[in-house]
Amino acid sequence: MPLHRQFAIDGKELIISIKGKFDFSLVQEFRQAYSDVGDQQPTVFIDLRETEYLDSSALGMLLNMRKALGQSVKSIHIINCRPEVRRIFDISRFDKLFVIE
Amino acid sequence: MNELSYKLAPQHATIAVLHDDSQLAHEVLAQLSVLSQLELVTSLLNDDIASIASTSASLVLLIQADATPLPTAVVALLQEQPQAIGVSQQLVTLDYLSAYVQEQVLWPWSKHLLFNRIEQLSQLYQTHQKIDGLRQALAWHKARVDREHQLVEHIFKNALSRNYLNYQYVNTYLTPVSKFNGDLCLISPGPLGNIYMLMADFTGHGLAPATGALPLSQAFFAMADRGVSVAEMVTEFNYRMSRLLPNDMFCAAILLELSANGERVNYWNGGMPAALLINEKGDVLRHLKPTHVALGVLDDEEFDSRVTSFRAPKGSSIAMFTDGVIELLGHQHKFLGADALEILLSTYPKPEDFPQIVKELERFRGETPLHDDLSLAILCCRPTELGQTKTEYEHYGLPFRLESVLQAEQLKQLDPVALILSAISQLPHLRHHRTTIYLFLAEAFNNALEHGLLGLDSKLKQDADGFLAYYQQRYERLQQLREGEIRISLEFEPTRKEVTIRVADTGEGTLQHDGCDDFSENAYGRGLELLRQMTTDLTWDNETRTVSFKYRL
Repeated sequence: MPLHRQFAIDGKELIISIKGKFDFSLVQEFRQAYSDVGDQQPTVFIDLRETEYLDSSALGMLLNMRKALGQSVKSIHIINCRPEVRRIFDISRFDKLFVIE
Repeated sequence: MNELSYKLAPQHATIAVLHDDSQLAHEVLAQLSVLSQLELVTSLLNDDIASIASTSASLVLLIQADATPLPTAVVALLQEQPQAIGVSQQLVTLDYLSAYVQEQVLWPWSKHLLFNRIEQLSQLYQTHQKIDGLRQALAWHKARVDREHQLVEHIFKNALSRNYLNYQYVNTYLTPVSKFNGDLCLISPGPLGNIYMLMADFTGHGLAPATGALPLSQAFFAMADRGVSVAEMVTEFNYRMSRLLPNDMFCAAILLELSANGERVNYWNGGMPAALLINEKGDVLRHLKPTHVALGVLDDEEFDSRVTSFRAPKGSSIAMFTDGVIELLGHQHKFLGADALEILLSTYPKPEDFPQIVKELERFRGETPLHDDLSLAILCCRPTELGQTKTEYEHYGLPFRLESVLQAEQLKQLDPVALILSAISQLPHLRHHRTTIYLFLAEAFNNALEHGLLGLDSKLKQDADGFLAYYQQRYERLQQLREGEIRISLEFEPTRKEVTIRVADTGEGTLQHDGCDDFSENAYGRGLELLRQMTTDLTWDNETRTVSFKYRL
């Protein structure tokens, strides 16, 4: 399963983790993963610990998510990036739009 | 091997008979020979009695019709022999023999005494034989169990050899009841500088539960190396434990991950006592309660892998322990209890005070023997200083060039970029840059395919629905593609550590610049910008329809 979605026990955190390749092949699945965030205004965590590959379509999908979720979530964190992935986010200035840990 | 083969078959008791060849002697011998379960060794009194002396007889019978003085060799033999009975028809002879034997039998009036005595002796002998057989079987078993324990101990030592208990920001106090521990405390760094800790408590203690620890620890270390999430780890653990453990055995466990910066904690607690988050002043900030059932109880469908996460303040620490610590029996025959333990832990919140905690626990216990394994570990929530796993390469290997020309049919069926990456990932120095090289190839290839061959317009991607529509169109047009090819070439030059990538297509569209010069919040137009920023010598040749660029490793 390349995409895994799980709410923390208290419903205040939504964790979406992506394994292997993060690109347009996940476009529908990814949209679905954040389609229902509940009304608790959770914090969303995109866990990329196992993301090896990504391209600009993944960046587009993340931006679309940010637009779609707006105020319905507390914030969006991108966590556990490998250094190379981190560099791609840095160059794309994603640190201004997401909390990157 | 069958243990019964080590029991000796009960042999008959041996009785040595020394006699004077009298009529009495032959009468007694005739009656004795009828008895089964008896082995008789006979000798004349004045013969060489060495053969008698060498048999380890249980009893010596001395038959004498009259009080003829005994030969010295016989006297010497009787002195060595604790069990000897004299037999005679004359009281005067018996009286003489009483100096050398313990019992006397007046033949034939008290001959039943002799037979009772022999019967008793025979039974006693058999009982001895049985006990001896059992004793030998036991000794053999013990040797076997010892050997097996040694083997398992060896396997354990190897299996746990990479357990990172020496991690500088953790303190542990682990005391098993027996050689094998039903508790398990495992620590392993992850690839992102994060650290994983697992504390588990199998039902029971000794060898049986420790056996379950083997597969659990193997899974733990393998998954920690890959850096997988806590939820996924516990799902795998439960999968293994539920298949492996018998129904009456399970494994309580708390798995915890601390991020590289030491701030973020994810945990899953199944049936373990609540771990404590304690700040440096000793306040208990949080109880990491067991919200799940222990591992190995539920099957895959019922299993709940949801984790809890929180932010650990600077200077705080997390204390994990098994119920053996709470139920520690003190020298005053009282249990320590959760409250007392909490007070003890918050009295010494600083890592350097850990020896004090151990001292207090040992003082409380005194001389009372342990009745359950004890495990206590305190992890400091601070930057792990572990760093990301890095490998240095001495040389960069051969120069090479890889070229792939893809026709319409292949473009429909294959994922060329992923395939090229799996090939070059075999080379260690390039493997290290695979994410970046993937990005470059994917951008150049998708540009050639989507704009060159399929004629898609990036402007469609302006909003979320358009984004989806764009990729829908990509799929549809690709399915209808009849002709056209894409040529991908990747060149590596080891002295300059330089990768040159060229991608050409036979289509008609142009290199799409998407009309934006800067990174905006638009969901499109980033690909080219990324290439521009991360690579050098980026060019587009209209004649050959080739995009080319270089990247230094």
